[in-house]
Amino acid sequence: MRKLSYYLNGWTILSVIIVLSLLSPMLPIIGGLLAPSSENWEHIKEYMLQDYMKTSFLLVFYTAVGTIVIGTSLAWLIAQYEFPLSRFYKWALILPLSIPPFIAAYTYSGMMSYTGVIQTTLRNVFNMPVNQKFFDIMNIPGAIFIYTMFLFPYVYTITRVFLTQQAASLVESAKLLGKGPWAIFFKVVLPISRAAIIGGVSLVSLEVLNDYGVVKYYGIQTFSTAIFQTWFGLGDIDAAIKLAASLMTFVVLMLVVEKLLRGTKQFSYSNTKVNPLPKVRLTGFRKWGAFGYVTLIFCLAFLIPVIQLIDWFVLTWGAIPNDEFTTYIRNSMLVAGIASVVIIAGSLIVGNFQRFAKGRIGKVLPKFTIVGYSIPGAVIAVAIVTMFIWLDRQLGSLYSAWGLDSTLVLSTSVVMLVVAYIVRFFAIGYNAIESGYDKIGVNFSLASRMLGASVTKTFFKVDIPLLKGAIISGLMLVFVDIMKEIPLTLILRPFNFETLATKAFQYAGDEKIMQASQPSLIIIAMSALAIFIFYRLLDKEDAK
Amino acid sequence: MTIEIKDVCFSYRNSKELAIDHFCMTIETGEVISILGRSGSGKSTMLRILAGLEIPEKGEFRLYEETMFDGKHFVQPEKRGIGLVFQDYALFPHMTVLDNVKFGLSHLSRTERLKRANEVLELVEMGDYKKRYPHQLSGGQQQRVALARALAPNPKLLLLDEPFSNLDKELQYKIREELYSILKRAQITSIFVTHDEDDAHTIADRIVKLDKGKITKIGRPCDMLGTPLKRPEVILK
Ligand SMILES: Nc1ncnc2c1ncn2[C@@H]1O[C@H](COP(=O)(O)OP(=O)(O)O)[C@@H](O)[C@H]1O
Ligand SMILES: [Mg+2]
Repeated sequence: MRKLSYYLNGWTILSVIIVLSLLSPMLPIIGGLLAPSSENWEHIKEYMLQDYMKTSFLLVFYTAVGTIVIGTSLAWLIAQYEFPLSRFYKWALILPLSIPPFIAAYTYSGMMSYTGVIQTTLRNVFNMPVNQKFFDIMNIPGAIFIYTMFLFPYVYTITRVFLTQQAASLVESAKLLGKGPWAIFFKVVLPISRAAIIGGVSLVSLEVLNDYGVVKYYGIQTFSTAIFQTWFGLGDIDAAIKLAASLMTFVVLMLVVEKLLRGTKQFSYSNTKVNPLPKVRLTGFRKWGAFGYVTLIFCLAFLIPVIQLIDWFVLTWGAIPNDEFTTYIRNSMLVAGIASVVIIAGSLIVGNFQRFAKGRIGKVLPKFTIVGYSIPGAVIAVAIVTMFIWLDRQLGSLYSAWGLDSTLVLSTSVVMLVVAYIVRFFAIGYNAIESGYDKIGVNFSLASRMLGASVTKTFFKVDIPLLKGAIISGLMLVFVDIMKEIPLTLILRPFNFETLATKAFQYAGDEKIMQASQPSLIIIAMSALAIFIFYRLLDKEDAK
Repeated sequence: MTIEIKDVCFSYRNSKELAIDHFCMTIETGEVISILGRSGSGKSTMLRILAGLEIPEKGEFRLYEETMFDGKHFVQPEKRGIGLVFQDYALFPHMTVLDNVKFGLSHLSRTERLKRANEVLELVEMGDYKKRYPHQLSGGQQQRVALARALAPNPKLLLLDEPFSNLDKELQYKIREELYSILKRAQITSIFVTHDEDDAHTIADRIVKLDKGKITKIGRPCDMLGTPLKRPEVILK
């Protein structure tokens, strides 16, 4: 009789189709590993691969260290202490996420350059000419600084939420045992938050490997830049696929290390509401020390670059013709809008299937939605193009039957870009939706079915209205992430299709840093708004 | 006209033990049955199986003439015509009391739907609270709305999972009496689950004692030897 539970209903079929379509573009990459190698690939393998690996490793490693130090220290300060503006900083420290690293990268290098605000001030006000060497940040340490400053919020938020919600009683008992604050931090907080911290750091590392904007602008050779070079510079897509496959191997190794570090030992905590940590009010030297440290980070990671961008924005007001500018905004919103709606709709379907599926595929299938997010943009780009060119070939006869001249229809359309976004960002939307489903539980839906409503009717009448919050926040998160996206957009957009992000990137690349500030600020403002609303929503729900 | 439950076995996927072990019984129309057992004995599981929310490994279940499940058939929960009152009520938070009750009546015309909803709300004495949302009601009121919602479509069988567990002690006695009279007035065959002997003895026509998924005893309350006598409520109050 159990077999009856596997009965194929529309939900199962749809979910399987959705997840398989998310995975299908990865096939050419895996195939690429096995394909015979070209001359270019031999050359790359011989002379360059090691360098790419070393650079990528350095970037990931030092950024991980930096974000752990900054992220956990801030999380601990905010979760545990009260000091001036600590409530404001609680969410303001997430804002650096609203600045895409490539924008931060060119902003900082603009500020530090010979004509930038820092050097000119030193020269003109203090009469101090400086050695350029100390002001060059367009190198590996500079990139690490940028990644650390603008990605640490991943570690900070996850750890802070963990500390406030879960660790209260452990910290309390450590205190009762007479441990001082430093001992508590190193002996209790760090060990128990290990899983949370590593979770945050692995997001950071994926972002670093995904990055194209920063390293391209700073002239650093990594996997991502190498993939693009091989592809466009050498025109060797097979070698690019092989590079992509090597990068994917790198990512997989990293995720394995992550699993090992997290350990099999899961701390289990009851779901019941724990009393939040009672905050300790800092006084005197400590109070200002904490305030100073947090403020310094906030200034470096948000305030200073934003002020600089606003300054440039004002200086170049009107430099981009208005109608052009509206086109960029419209394009950005269009692709981001379509992709995020598709992602959320798909997530709702897979999520609903997941929570009622009793068999193994119900548990395993949704796990695959994460694949796209762990794969760097450069790899996805290669994969999607390969797939679309193949598709176009298959459909070639259809095109001519319709009287179309071109043989490349899909692969030159915006559809390709949107599909790439969906593959890459599905996990972001799915996460939001899945946690929404978790929150409402299954009983409302079961109650609805007991009252005679089918699964589908229940979905529309009960689930969707109850999931409104999760749907909105999922849409917002995905939308903003797509607005900021760089490598996929640059490669997969149709000819002459510009978005805010590509325009900012191009201006910066053409040394028109000031003009770049305009699209950049719009991206930042929208992201900041989304982040603000999103975390406010979360906060309110926590307070309930 | 009887309800037949034959040899039902069930285990959760992640455990080897049987959560329900060869459950057998027949129920007459209009009877109020109580499944009594300690927490973890499988009471909720049994209700969920009858409701169609879990799929048993073997066994048969016939609701009057219709087969709900046997080796070959399995009727989906929404097609069974069985009402279930959840332990946590599961009232839809985004709908008013009236809309909650009307939810199961989509097969009726608009006016009939409203009429029926009002009827059951009067039955549970919640007629004055139609426009409220569930969170604006007390626990006892929510419970009555949940009952009304389950009763509205005229289920062939009503299942109640620990109907009193979320209420405070004093309210429990009151609601218990009310539930009894409502069930009797509605003449509805029902099975309710409880871990409280008093509850079972007060309301049930017959009691099924469950332990580790096995029936250890079935009988009328007065036949249940070896159980403590019903405590006089007067003294407790
Ligand atoms: N979803 C589940 N997965 C696995 N085991 C479960 C699940 N729900 C209940 N059980 C187990 O089945 C047994 C019976 O549970 P349940 O029917 O909820 O008991 P009761 O309602 O009598 O308290 C218990 O041992 C319980 O731990
Ligand atoms: Mg139970």
